[in-house]
Amino acid sequence: MEVAIRKEDLFACIQCGKCTGSCPEAGKTPFNVRMMVRKVLFDEWNEEDLLWFCSSCGACTVRCPRDVRPSEVVVGLRAAMVEAGRVPTSLYQALENTLVQKNPWGRSKNKRDEWTAPLDFQIPFIGDGDLHTLLFVCCVQAYDPRCQVIPRNFAKVLHTAGVPFGILGRKEVCCGNEIRRVGEWGLFRELREENSRNFKRYGVERIVALSPHCMNAFRKEYDGVVQDVLHYTQFLWELIREGAIEPKGEYPKRVVYHDPCFLGKQNGVFDEPREILRAIPALELLEFSRSRENSLCCEGGGGRMFIDVEAGERNGERRVKEAEELGAEVIATACPFCLLNLEDAATVLDAAIEVKDITEILMEVL
Amino acid sequence: MGYALVVGETRGGVIEERSLDPVYFSDKIGLPSYLLLPQGKYDPLKGVCDKVLVSSFEEGDFLNPLNLVRTVEGVIGAFGAPSLILFPHSSFGMDAAPFLAGRLSWPLITDIAGFYRDEEGMVFVKPLYSEKVHAHFRLRDARGVVGTVRTGAFEGEGMRKETVFERLEAIEKDPRREFLGYLEEEVGDVDITRAELLVSVGRGVKEKENIPTFEELASLLGGTLSCSRPVADRGWLPKSRQVGTSGKTVKPKVYLAMGISGAFQHIAGMKNSEVIIAVNRDPSAPIFQYAHYGVIEDMHKVAQKMIERLKGQG
Amino acid sequence: MEVVVLAKWVPVTQEEELKLVRGEKAVDLEEIPFRLNEWDTYAIEEASRILEAHGGTGWVVSLGGEEADTALRRGLAMGLGKGALIETEEELVDPFERAQIFKNFLEKKGIKFDLLLSGVQAEDDQFAATGGILAGLLDLPYATMVMGIEEISEGEVTVLRELEGGFMERVRISLPAVLSVQTGINEPRYVSVTGVLAAAKKEREFLPVDEFSEGRKGRIEILKLEFPPPREGAEIIKGDLDEVVENIFEILKEKGVR
Repeated sequence: MEVAIRKEDLFACIQCGKCTGSCPEAGKTPFNVRMMVRKVLFDEWNEEDLLWFCSSCGACTVRCPRDVRPSEVVVGLRAAMVEAGRVPTSLYQALENTLVQKNPWGRSKNKRDEWTAPLDFQIPFIGDGDLHTLLFVCCVQAYDPRCQVIPRNFAKVLHTAGVPFGILGRKEVCCGNEIRRVGEWGLFRELREENSRNFKRYGVERIVALSPHCMNAFRKEYDGVVQDVLHYTQFLWELIREGAIEPKGEYPKRVVYHDPCFLGKQNGVFDEPREILRAIPALELLEFSRSRENSLCCEGGGGRMFIDVEAGERNGERRVKEAEELGAEVIATACPFCLLNLEDAATVLDAAIEVKDITEILMEVL
Repeated sequence: MGYALVVGETRGGVIEERSLDPVYFSDKIGLPSYLLLPQGKYDPLKGVCDKVLVSSFEEGDFLNPLNLVRTVEGVIGAFGAPSLILFPHSSFGMDAAPFLAGRLSWPLITDIAGFYRDEEGMVFVKPLYSEKVHAHFRLRDARGVVGTVRTGAFEGEGMRKETVFERLEAIEKDPRREFLGYLEEEVGDVDITRAELLVSVGRGVKEKENIPTFEELASLLGGTLSCSRPVADRGWLPKSRQVGTSGKTVKPKVYLAMGISGAFQHIAGMKNSEVIIAVNRDPSAPIFQYAHYGVIEDMHKVAQKMIERLKGQG
Repeated sequence: MEVVVLAKWVPVTQEEELKLVRGEKAVDLEEIPFRLNEWDTYAIEEASRILEAHGGTGWVVSLGGEEADTALRRGLAMGLGKGALIETEEELVDPFERAQIFKNFLEKKGIKFDLLLSGVQAEDDQFAATGGILAGLLDLPYATMVMGIEEISEGEVTVLRELEGGFMERVRISLPAVLSVQTGINEPRYVSVTGVLAAAKKEREFLPVDEFSEGRKGRIEILKLEFPPPREGAEIIKGDLDEVVENIFEILKEKGVR
């Protein structure tokens, strides 16, 4: 079985506490990653319920001065739980759904391309003709009515700019990033194999991922099957720089950008989304005090989009309040989990603030 | 002359209304119906069926499939073999009908939702694949058939009959299964079947922490909070609040279904509500097929706005 | 104790747009994903718990095509000891026929079980009949809608049956017996993909249905399939949030509940 971390590596831990200090779950939940590492090292750990709080933001791993990689320790422990059959009920369903329908929400795999229906043009299948750039849509964006607008927007932009690209359509299966983060490595391997086979079969040379989670999987967990993997903001910024698309209209609003963990702190993409927003006339770009590497995790990763835990005050709500304090009118983001979590939070708080994906803002000004 | 043997069901001595569905079905087929029931008095049945056969078994023993086989064999001995032996499609029907079919070696069709005749004979309609398809079944042997009848699939035609009451001879119990008693699920605080307005939450409520908002909405509207199975399974609301085949059947004036997708078992529990308003983010949610009014919107947003208005009006 | 569990490999059709083929006598299942019948997962879990508590062996038995092997491996990964797939590519629509095949299998293999468990019904045909008919053919006591197995002692078992309206019935049944269990009777353990793959090493038999076809006969047949008439859907209330809520209040006023 694959091992996330060897126990000997944990001896490097000096218990400095930078991990827990940066953990979005620390303080408001009993989850304490510093203590967990110590207990595992001394074979004293038995708090499996706490494992499921982790949202895989990766802050602990980024901050750790000794390369202990606590977020990976969590994943390794989760994998042991999965093999032992001890998973939260909500996770059980998500895993079953992914096994049968290739997406954690259990939506029909035969309907994975329905998001394309309202478009007035056909998006080619990646296998047709001489196409090498794949748009990887992502489960949430393929099925969730709120998020389907994002792939549609992106497709429209590319279509108008005359950029050749294709999609896998119904052959696309979950990238498996979250599946790997919750420890179901057998299932992750199956998904990876299926996607990889299709990437090779259809000569994919470049993947543009709409979700930072998918991008993360393809960049780091897919054994380099495709070398050139971009997040859609990186692709769009390229197009803007080349002049292929030009934001002309005005967007006279105060917009604060929220760095998604899997885009920002885990994959170093901070600037492109900001450059896109700065290129939009009349848009006033604000910064959270906790931004870039210190961005506050929305708690959507690590399987948290489908695991039920009682996690105290939600970070999504904290973030919306922070945005209100800044005087922002819009929170812009580039990850579907962040989008949903922040928007839910804004609804619950009945905030006047809007939450938008970058493509939504861009569509208004092109 | 053929007849249909309808095995009825009582609970606490009261006949369950669904026991009459197979009687209406027999009327449709055009066969006299003999309604078989446990010990009890059944005057209200006068005029409804052709015969009422009263078993010597008490309710608990009567509903026992093993005893029922013996009872039916007794009926066959006394009155000849029926053309059909029918049950309501209920927990009892699902218990007894297949077992009886096995013992008698008769074919079985469950959850019969329709019927007609063609040149070759009787055709029974049964839903398959989550209600998406209706199968038309024919019998290969034209002999007898055991069936369970879907509640509400057939309606009484208002035929008035000369009902004859018969007592059946006492039969020995089968010792291999014994009725020990009834239990009720923990009695909840509120009886949702009495509410005039129900605010019902489903999976879309997402977390336990969101329940109080809907509690507040229900309260401000002067109604009661109920839920679908997933919410009760997770313990976010007591089982007594669950609407559906394994929960309660409700018939309020208004049923406000929020974040409920509309699984068949849930629909079965509320479809007779006078007005069903469904609120769901997903436009393809099956509940919109059953609701009178639909709102395609986030249930939380709608609830918040409604509460805001209700409070504003003081 | 010896426990046998029946497991069915079924298509998942809730969200699918179905098409009819073969002269409208069958549904096109080519593109439909399959899985182990949800009810049977609970039955397997219950059997595993009984065996863990009382010791003994457990069988998981399925009747179907070769892909149904995955159902067996799930059962084995969840704790049952032996598996058997009675292979056939036929679509056996008559539960009576399925029950006859299972009866022949049990008798020919000489399996003397204490308990035979099935799920209340299968997701595809929802007949809810095979277990009960099998019990009838074997002349063994039966109960369905079992939502709790309270006690197993010398030669008998006490169970709770789910009734309508939140009521339950407690019954005592002598063993050997056949029980059909309802969802929610337990919380099935998760078995990982790796675990299911590993279960391929456990003892499994693949047997042709012809070996168990003595006296079997389908007594009901499908004349045709058809789609039910489309229901009149809901009247969708349009407008922004304020308008929508206004409308809702109007409806409530009309019904006299506001």
